[in-house]
Amino acid sequence: MLETLFLMGQGFINALSPMNLLFAAAGTAIGIVIGCLPGLSAAMGVALLLPMTFTMAPETGLIVLGAIYCGAIFGGSISAILIHTPGTPASAATAIEGYQLTLRGKAGKALAVACFSSFCGGLLSCISLYFFAPLLAQLAMKFGSPEYFWLSVFGLTIIAGVSSKSMVKGLMSGAFGLLLSTIGMDPIEGAKRFMFGQASLYEGINTTCALIGLFSMSQVLILAETKIKERAKAAKFTDKIALTGSEIKRLTPTILRSWVIGNLIGILPGAGASIACFMGYNAARQFSKHKEEFGHGSIEGVAGPEAANNAVTGGSLIPMLTLGIPGESVTAVLMGGLIIQGLQPGPELFTRYAPMTYTFFAGFVLVQFFMLGIGLLGCRGFAQISRLSDAILIPSVAVLCVVGSFAIHKNFTDVVIMMIFGIIGYMVRKFGLNPAAIVLALILGPIGEKGLRRSLVLSGGSPAILFSTPVCWVLIGLCVFGILSPIFMNRVEQKSLEQAGGGDIVAPMED
Amino acid sequence: MKRISALLLALVLLMSLAACGGGGAKQSAAPAPASESKAEGAAPAEGTPADSAASEWAPTENVTIIVAYKAGSGTDNTARVLTAYAEKYIGKPVIIENLEGGSGSIGWTALQQAEPDGHTLGFLNLPNFNSSITEGLADYTVDDFTAICNHVTETSVVLVKADSQFNTLEDLVQYAKEHPGELKASTNGKRASNHIGAQMLANTAEFQYVDVPYGGTADQLLALRQGEVDFSVAKVADFASFTSEVKILGVFAADRLPELPDVPTVGEQGYYDKWLGSSRCIAAPAGVSEDVVAFYAKAFEQIMQDPDYLKAAEAAGITTDYQGPLDTAAMVWQQQEFAEDLESAWGA
Repeated sequence: MLETLFLMGQGFINALSPMNLLFAAAGTAIGIVIGCLPGLSAAMGVALLLPMTFTMAPETGLIVLGAIYCGAIFGGSISAILIHTPGTPASAATAIEGYQLTLRGKAGKALAVACFSSFCGGLLSCISLYFFAPLLAQLAMKFGSPEYFWLSVFGLTIIAGVSSKSMVKGLMSGAFGLLLSTIGMDPIEGAKRFMFGQASLYEGINTTCALIGLFSMSQVLILAETKIKERAKAAKFTDKIALTGSEIKRLTPTILRSWVIGNLIGILPGAGASIACFMGYNAARQFSKHKEEFGHGSIEGVAGPEAANNAVTGGSLIPMLTLGIPGESVTAVLMGGLIIQGLQPGPELFTRYAPMTYTFFAGFVLVQFFMLGIGLLGCRGFAQISRLSDAILIPSVAVLCVVGSFAIHKNFTDVVIMMIFGIIGYMVRKFGLNPAAIVLALILGPIGEKGLRRSLVLSGGSPAILFSTPVCWVLIGLCVFGILSPIFMNRVEQKSLEQAGGGDIVAPMED
Repeated sequence: MKRISALLLALVLLMSLAACGGGGAKQSAAPAPASESKAEGAAPAEGTPADSAASEWAPTENVTIIVAYKAGSGTDNTARVLTAYAEKYIGKPVIIENLEGGSGSIGWTALQQAEPDGHTLGFLNLPNFNSSITEGLADYTVDDFTAICNHVTETSVVLVKADSQFNTLEDLVQYAKEHPGELKASTNGKRASNHIGAQMLANTAEFQYVDVPYGGTADQLLALRQGEVDFSVAKVADFASFTSEVKILGVFAADRLPELPDVPTVGEQGYYDKWLGSSRCIAAPAGVSEDVVAFYAKAFEQIMQDPDYLKAAEAAGITTDYQGPLDTAAMVWQQQEFAEDLESAWGA
């Protein structure tokens, strides 16, 4: 034990070398820029810069990649908050409340909250990375096919939470998303479904493409339609960036909840930051003492998803480093980086290569501080974007949408798909349906389908397998809670509103 | 302040354009220096052995290698180790372009449609490349590519969990025969490479099993480690980070592998006796000149003998297996025939 602590300390000393610090700072900055550009996700950022790390020492290379990862996950929130354009799928839920804050002229505050929560989420996830890695890795081994089915069902119950205005419309949106998620290759039989001869649809609709279309392109259309109206409001720019003590106190429970959620989701292979951010948002909403603010710009609604998605970063490294299971695309690239350096993930990383591993961990901790520093310094500058006139903003975001969707695969079909989703998104918002629910279902659909169908193949068709393990029952319990609590909460809310005598729920801009 | 932020936004836009500019600009590459040698399919033109060193062709701009899988995938990793040492022998930087999607067919379509001027090459993954043709995912055929050389060959093995009741392939087959349809095998996808392996074993040993597709090798092997399934077929490099958690019961090869001398071949035990596995070879679009093929075949042969490369490859668990243009072309064709013959294997 003492020896391990010594190695951990040694790791910090190694990580504090000027070279490592320089690369950590540069990596974080690059990551933030990559993250806030729609279409360039954390995975792409890490992949783009992976070749540059080959010539570095393994620990420095890993720190750079880790920095890009963390930076990008935070960076996605910047464009989500300012222009309702989640830079990465991991910030989809941040756009919901973040953009409302921007509309109220509080862009700076929203950014500061996002930055601070990302920092906390990331830093807290380091704790589990340091001390509970082998323990938590066992959790990944406990998640088989039936568990993934229930996890996705639980994820879908969040739809109830994000669609408080009309449950029916929320469910319709979810069902539409699930339907879209069946496009592409059937995960069990390999049959082609709804592809219409397009090879690029073989692996399904690209989530990022759909996201850019539903959130950003539709936003462009809506802005173009309403023109200066909304902007004029945002121009009265009266926010303070610095968080007050009482605000931090208010955010603390949300951040802690999101840390646990993000960390656990991060550990599960295949789940990842985009699911965690929705769960973080949902938890923040369910337990908030200021529910009335949700939908009109709530700082907890920003802190919840942002703390959760950055808590994923540390969590997702655990199964990769200890078991050699890459949970999501970023860690898959990181694992590739390790292997190229001649390091096989597994227990050896904590024995034979422990100095390198702990230097990386220490670097990962330092990266969080760089993220906080760079993020807070940049807040004021970034926030100015919300004051830009629509004449500049609308074409800029439209260009970003096209470029971003093209950049994913360098494939023009993706741009067409994005455009189609832009139009769908526009209509969806006109009809009061919920784009967030569509994206959520699109992400969770394949996980649930694979889980269910694989379980049934394994059991020879008997559904009993879905109730066969304790983990299943825990997840079923969560599902029931997830469905019932918003219904219950809504009722309480309505009652208190009636008592307050004011039923004037101003319909804010949709979603 | 407003102006500054407008500038900032413009900068961001520019950067994002630059980020994907690489792909856009490439198509307007210089005209093909030699388009006279017409498509001869994967078989390169006569008399282009790797050692015709006097070939005068050399790349005049950066060379792009298309990897049809995403960054960080197995193919991508091996390709990056190779290209890291390539500039010394090729004379120009070699840039990897990941064009994933469509089960590889998107990247291979891009390779097929690339200018055959020797500045765009690509990795073909056998047998996935072949099944993309037989499954009708793409419009290309083997004839649309010119093989240059082979890079990696990986052999399939039969795996069970370390604490499995089966210690030999014989045990497994016997149990499977006594309990038809009871054993479950995880695969990396319906009719994907590792499913082919399991099916070949079952066909030749005449037992029935349930295949459970997991969509990827990592998930497939996780299911084996979790005990969700009973056995699996995978390539040696796939489980390098957890060798202690599995037992290898047999090797799909004609002879035992040098790195696994104690593991009998599947054929030795009376079942499928031919080689089964995957290869990654380098190819150009059909229509490249003989000189281009000769140049790259020689260059890649030298890279694959470079001590620095070999050291890195060994550390990364890459089983380098250089083969010249003719052998590689033959292999592509042989795999194509194998893929087309497979239809009968699934019938059982």
